[in-house]
Amino acid sequence: MSADDRPEAAHARPRLKNPAGEGEGSLWRRLLLNRFVLVPGAIVVAGLVWNGYVSLHNGGLIEGRVTDASGRPVAGAEVVVLVQNVTTFSEKGRARTGPDGVFLITDNPSHHVQIFAETPSGRSERRDLRLWFRGQNTVLDQPLVLSPAAG
Amino acid sequence: MHRYPRWPIHLALLTVSFFMLVPFYWVLKTSLTGENIFGYPPSLWPKDPHLFFYVDVWYFIPFARYFLNSVIVSVLAVLANLVFNALAGYALTKDFRGKGTVLLLFLSCMMIPFQATIIPAYLITGQLGLLNSYVGLALPLFSTIVCIFVFKASFEAVPRSLIDAAKIDGLAEWQIVLRIMLPLSKSAVATNVILAFIWSWNNFLWPLIITRDADLQTLPLGLARFLSYHEDTTGALYAFCVLVLMPGILLFLLAQKQFIQGLTSGATKG
Repeated sequence: MSADDRPEAAHARPRLKNPAGEGEGSLWRRLLLNRFVLVPGAIVVAGLVWNGYVSLHNGGLIEGRVTDASGRPVAGAEVVVLVQNVTTFSEKGRARTGPDGVFLITDNPSHHVQIFAETPSGRSERRDLRLWFRGQNTVLDQPLVLSPAAG
Repeated sequence: MHRYPRWPIHLALLTVSFFMLVPFYWVLKTSLTGENIFGYPPSLWPKDPHLFFYVDVWYFIPFARYFLNSVIVSVLAVLANLVFNALAGYALTKDFRGKGTVLLLFLSCMMIPFQATIIPAYLITGQLGLLNSYVGLALPLFSTIVCIFVFKASFEAVPRSLIDAAKIDGLAEWQIVLRIMLPLSKSAVATNVILAFIWSWNNFLWPLIITRDADLQTLPLGLARFLSYHEDTTGALYAFCVLVLMPGILLFLLAQKQFIQGLTSGATKG
């Protein structure tokens, strides 16, 4: 058994100077490719990727449609946005639907909003909208349906 | 060799583990559903789980700021622990006059709760001008007696011949600690890192007393603040608890092998 094969020498090997530079690559590989570096590194990378995604999709846009009970688009309906303020919701802004019943809110600052539409003749139910980050661009998958009896 | 049936031990361990893990499961489940924890009958499985309570936590309070503060304070505590405890542990492996008294003093000091020494600790920190600072937040945890004994036990397991050889090679005492003792005591280092990190991470009373700026508050203080603001948001509160617990659990899972070795290294010596 050579001197380098002894267990205590194996422990001390990374600390010793190596004039020939042999094994430096494996030393760096061992220092970097271990779970104490890889797991925090993966978390940091995931955080950076997520922040990149957020910065590209946080325009504060909410797009949707307003229809009447029979499914026809309603033009000129007013859409009200309420944002969460500690434990209550307060009005943040309004938008009006176009001829095709589509509305676009451009300045949503929150990650949790409620939204409803109203006309002089009716009102929709409040839609609770939870987002993954502040100002996430969103398209409502279901239209806001005006109901003459509601409100 | 006589072989005992292992299933009774496993059954007992599973039962104990179940009772120990149920509270954690309940916290996790509530953080995903926000359900009323006093509801009866309680539901075992989460109904309509989602992660939006975690988003609420992130935005309701300056979570990132608290998290960063906790990380800075914990890293300071861990680094200081490694330096001071290793040096103290190495000193205690030497024979010197009054060593028994020092050991006795250390052991007796372990029985004094921190609450009893908090006023002198505050006054000393104030005299050093470290109130309301990161170093001041970490200062009481710069060295812990339990970890000194962990290092002492680990260093005593290193063969005396290695230290003698190092001395013959001309290494100074601090070089022996740095280049011989610490590389051979990885489990003690891991134990120190985990214990110092968790104690610092969970510390509530000391940061509460010495911080004045909201920007210097750590996660446990943030949790108390969050509770006072949003006491009716059960889901978000539990999500906050999970986020506070996560780094400590992650660190333990990463280094559990070394941690267990470090705690038991002194127990099996002949």
